[in-house]
Amino acid sequence: MQRMVIERILIGIVTLWVVSVLVFVMTSMLPGDVAQIVLGQSATPESLAAYRAERGLDQPRVFQYFAWLGNMLTGDLGTSKAGGATISSLISGRLYNTMILAAIVAVIAVPLSVALGLMAAMYPGTWIDRSLTFGTLALISVPEFFIATFMVLIFAVNLGWLPAIARVAPEDTFWESARGLAMPLITLIIVVAAQMIRMTRAGILNVMNSPYIEMAILKGVRRKRIILRHAFFNTIGPIVNVIALNLAYLVSGVVIVETIFAYPGLAKLMIDGVQTRDLPLVQATAMIFCGTYVILIILADVAAILANPRLRNPK
Amino acid sequence: MSDTTQSKDDDQDKTIYDELPDAPPKKKLKLTWTGKLGVVIVAFWVIMVVIGPWVAPFDEADIIADDSYMGVMSVTEGEGLHVFGTDYLERDILSRILWGARMTVGIAFLATLLAYAMGVTAGIAAAVKGGWIDMVLSRVNDAILSLPTIMLGLLIVVALGSSIPILIGTAAIIYASSVFRIARAYGQEIMVMDYVESAQARGETIWWIIFREVLPNAAMPLATDFGLRLVFVVLFISSLSFLGLGIQPPAADWGSMVRQNLEGMQYGSLAPVWPALAIASFTIAINLIVDDISAKSGGDLAKKMI
Amino acid sequence: MTESKENLPTINSLSGADREVIETGLRRGANRREVMSWLIAAGASIAGAGAIVTSATEVLAQTPKKGGKITFASDLHGPSDTLDPALNTSTIDYSRGRAYYNSLCQINDDLSTRPELAEEYSANADNSEWTFKLRKGVKFHDGSPLTADDVIYSMSRHYGEKSTSTAKPLVADVKEWKKVDQFTIKAIMMGPNADLPVILGTPQFKIIKDGTTEFQTANGTGPFRLTEFKPGQRSIGMRNEDYWREGANAEILEITAITDKVARTSAFLSGDIDLMQGLDPKAIKSVESTPGVGVWSVPAGGYFGICAMTNSSPGNNPDFVRALQYIQRREKIVKSILKGQGTVGNDHPINISYGADHCSELEQRVHDLDKAKFYLKKSGITQAEVNVAEVAPGMTDIVLLAQREAQKIGLDLQIKKVPNDGYWGAVWMKTPVNVVTWNMRPTANVMINLAFAPDAPWNDTLWKSERLGKLLVESRAATDPAKRHEMYCEMQRLISVGTDDMPPSGMVIPAHRNYVDGKSDKIEGIGRMPLGSLGGYEWPEFAWRTDV
Repeated sequence: MQRMVIERILIGIVTLWVVSVLVFVMTSMLPGDVAQIVLGQSATPESLAAYRAERGLDQPRVFQYFAWLGNMLTGDLGTSKAGGATISSLISGRLYNTMILAAIVAVIAVPLSVALGLMAAMYPGTWIDRSLTFGTLALISVPEFFIATFMVLIFAVNLGWLPAIARVAPEDTFWESARGLAMPLITLIIVVAAQMIRMTRAGILNVMNSPYIEMAILKGVRRKRIILRHAFFNTIGPIVNVIALNLAYLVSGVVIVETIFAYPGLAKLMIDGVQTRDLPLVQATAMIFCGTYVILIILADVAAILANPRLRNPK
Repeated sequence: MSDTTQSKDDDQDKTIYDELPDAPPKKKLKLTWTGKLGVVIVAFWVIMVVIGPWVAPFDEADIIADDSYMGVMSVTEGEGLHVFGTDYLERDILSRILWGARMTVGIAFLATLLAYAMGVTAGIAAAVKGGWIDMVLSRVNDAILSLPTIMLGLLIVVALGSSIPILIGTAAIIYASSVFRIARAYGQEIMVMDYVESAQARGETIWWIIFREVLPNAAMPLATDFGLRLVFVVLFISSLSFLGLGIQPPAADWGSMVRQNLEGMQYGSLAPVWPALAIASFTIAINLIVDDISAKSGGDLAKKMI
Repeated sequence: MTESKENLPTINSLSGADREVIETGLRRGANRREVMSWLIAAGASIAGAGAIVTSATEVLAQTPKKGGKITFASDLHGPSDTLDPALNTSTIDYSRGRAYYNSLCQINDDLSTRPELAEEYSANADNSEWTFKLRKGVKFHDGSPLTADDVIYSMSRHYGEKSTSTAKPLVADVKEWKKVDQFTIKAIMMGPNADLPVILGTPQFKIIKDGTTEFQTANGTGPFRLTEFKPGQRSIGMRNEDYWREGANAEILEITAITDKVARTSAFLSGDIDLMQGLDPKAIKSVESTPGVGVWSVPAGGYFGICAMTNSSPGNNPDFVRALQYIQRREKIVKSILKGQGTVGNDHPINISYGADHCSELEQRVHDLDKAKFYLKKSGITQAEVNVAEVAPGMTDIVLLAQREAQKIGLDLQIKKVPNDGYWGAVWMKTPVNVVTWNMRPTANVMINLAFAPDAPWNDTLWKSERLGKLLVESRAATDPAKRHEMYCEMQRLISVGTDDMPPSGMVIPAHRNYVDGKSDKIEGIGRMPLGSLGGYEWPEFAWRTDV
């Protein structure tokens, strides 16, 4: 077990490196460079050359990559090629914002969706199952920007209960922050809970199908016990996997929610980085996203192994 | 030619192994009324993919109405009736939805199928074969999966340009990686179950195990996921349009139609609601069918217990 | 202006109580129409009521209130946000520049100039040498005094190989910036240029402290002091109590951006922000029907352009360009796409906003499919591809409209939508047919010089007209208004129509756009200078809250 975790961490570091190469190759393929984008319409050949020289962009790209890698290994994330601010100053506040939002959503959405998924699986075909199924489907079946904008129109523009945008500021009181975060939270809970509910339900129903459960039923084991003891534990592997993927999404993929609520988080920062071709910034955010993902997946795998003793001693 | 021999073998297999006590339970699909409704709706949209442009009252690119954001059942003199009103650029919404079926449903199906072909093959192979194959596939997959979809989409589409084949390929690669992980996880779970172990004990080949044991047992959860994945591809394409990428104008796709008409909502136009309903009707219908499949296979036993 | 009003009543002719009612009403954000309806109901004539409201508004405008916080949301920000004036390219940068720095000269709403840090400026007889006398006692935020060295340093950043300034070409004709004494600077020009003061009023020429190389904070002389700057998030400024003139009205200034236009409009409608940049024409109706907020629209000369490059097919075929010009439904664009917030274009950049330099004699080109068909047939072209990015709201729709018209004359006009990022570097001026947008410039000369001069780095279509280049230089020295107008008219005709031996520029300019922004009724003091959003970014110093 310990060996496996250490092995996974080493593998994770390899994955991080693979990602950095991938990001480097992909950003190199994008049209235009940071100088052209920052200077935009008002660029001239001379000002482009001057900008590139000033920011070290005139050096070969591969050289820039290794310079970045070297600095990274010593803990220096470098400076933004677009604005000149240090990457760590750009990231620090946003990292906190992203983590807070993801944590609150996770704390609410994970137990809620596992419970609802279990409930739907316990009574398949009943009205509880049907209404849960239909409800989750309806909510994930429209673009999240539609749900978000719809909520803004009702709760901010028409009723005036909540602010339309979640501009969290250090000087805000708890109540102000809570009001600001309410709508992004609801949107994200809807998005991630729906998938987790459905996968939990499907996973458990799948296990209910297996011969040993049938055996248990024939032996007269009580229904609650079968689901909670046998079926649930055997489904933990896949369920935890889905949860891990959704948590990773909450850290890295919520760009639409961040955009619509003008919430300063990491996902939007990464898109900005890509759009300005600001390689150090893109790399730094990619490392954070990949690192988060690796850690979550290791945790998911550990949980799966703990839950299913058969996986502990793979042949 | 090879097909016939293959199916002969299959029949033989069936007769031999169906009697074995560890054979997976047989599944016969019978749809409930919600499932049937789902089939009807999906069939409707599939038909629209084919004939949509011919039954639509206007061309998707026609800018002909009197005003933008006209209401339901409004009329433009000399042109005709706008059943669902008009969009921000004075185009007929009903026509654009009918034309858009081609883009939205077509692209989503193709991309999801491609994603599944790639993801399931690789995922099950990794689970069954294990070892270095699993290792390499998983690392490459992790790298893709650990980056946010929208960012990968942004990188690929901006680098290669926004054409329909590229959109399909981009969506397929991105979603294949999630399919891979789920397929692999299920594959691993199943590989340690009794009936697979006994099949291995009987000395069956790896491919026999995959086709006869692993796939049928993983099929149901994967089918559930297929429904969701289809929804995600539709939403992914629309989120690319959120960033100004996506389908080339004036072609209509439902996601971009919602996005482009959002302003209308601020003063009560239903322009963004209709395409949103089109998306919802299609994705819900798909999932209703999928649910019936899973309720059928797992539901019988569970029902016995209630 | 005041003469015509003399016989009409003003706010001062009302009784104290009535006056109170109207002023309070206006302060609370009642709009002009509402107040007029009260007055008309009370027996005033429409003209009289209008005059009273106008004078009441003016009285209110003259007495700004101090205090409170003003929140402004721009449309675009990110890691490239900068406090370095020379690198400014976006509205959010320009607005911040106005809050934390000052210019030598300030631009008025009518595009004339008034003194700012230079308390006096004048040129020699032929406008080839300008002298700026600095105001004394002006202090930077770090307490150091403003001297000529700071001005020389600020200007030096727009010259030389190492300069990354985005405004370099604007002052390229200044040969030398010379320090005369501690408070006097001379600009020695290469040739006559009467426009130097107005150019120096544009955003990039803000005065920074001598020797500044780091821009994590803003050490300027401006009406606000920077207390927080987070690129891509927001900046906060506090009123500068040591300001050299009357100073800012608001206590706190928050400048942020909400990139998504729907979200920005929602935040504005719900009162989370007081001022918003870039109101989408589609949203005008909802702003107008919401109490407490209004549309701030300033007619301007900025334009949408479709550029057919003259160095390649199909743009090198003047008949194709003419066909493309005749299929434009200019009135429809203004009505349907811009929702009335713009003016029709005549395929040259100088519209009525440039005043006397606009050529009203030039015949307005109209939608004419027969002519378009004739020219298309003559050109022999049947297919073309336009590269489109949404460089300004409505650009894509304009091209979509053109596409439908093109179909009617047998031209297969394909649209290739490309993302905004990378557009200026990889697509604009590089693909055969693309699109462009330009903001209005302080003078017709600057505008034409930037985008049409034969040696201009940003000549959209690479159209080289030596005649135009000659006219540009000559018109700078022209002192006779009639002669000058004639020269500008010829330039506009060259660009739009061409001559027998010089084809037109390849530019299709179907419409000019207003600056359309949103302003809460609780905010006053926003100007109408047409060089940028919300009155040319001049508002931070002058805006004030009515509800403090």
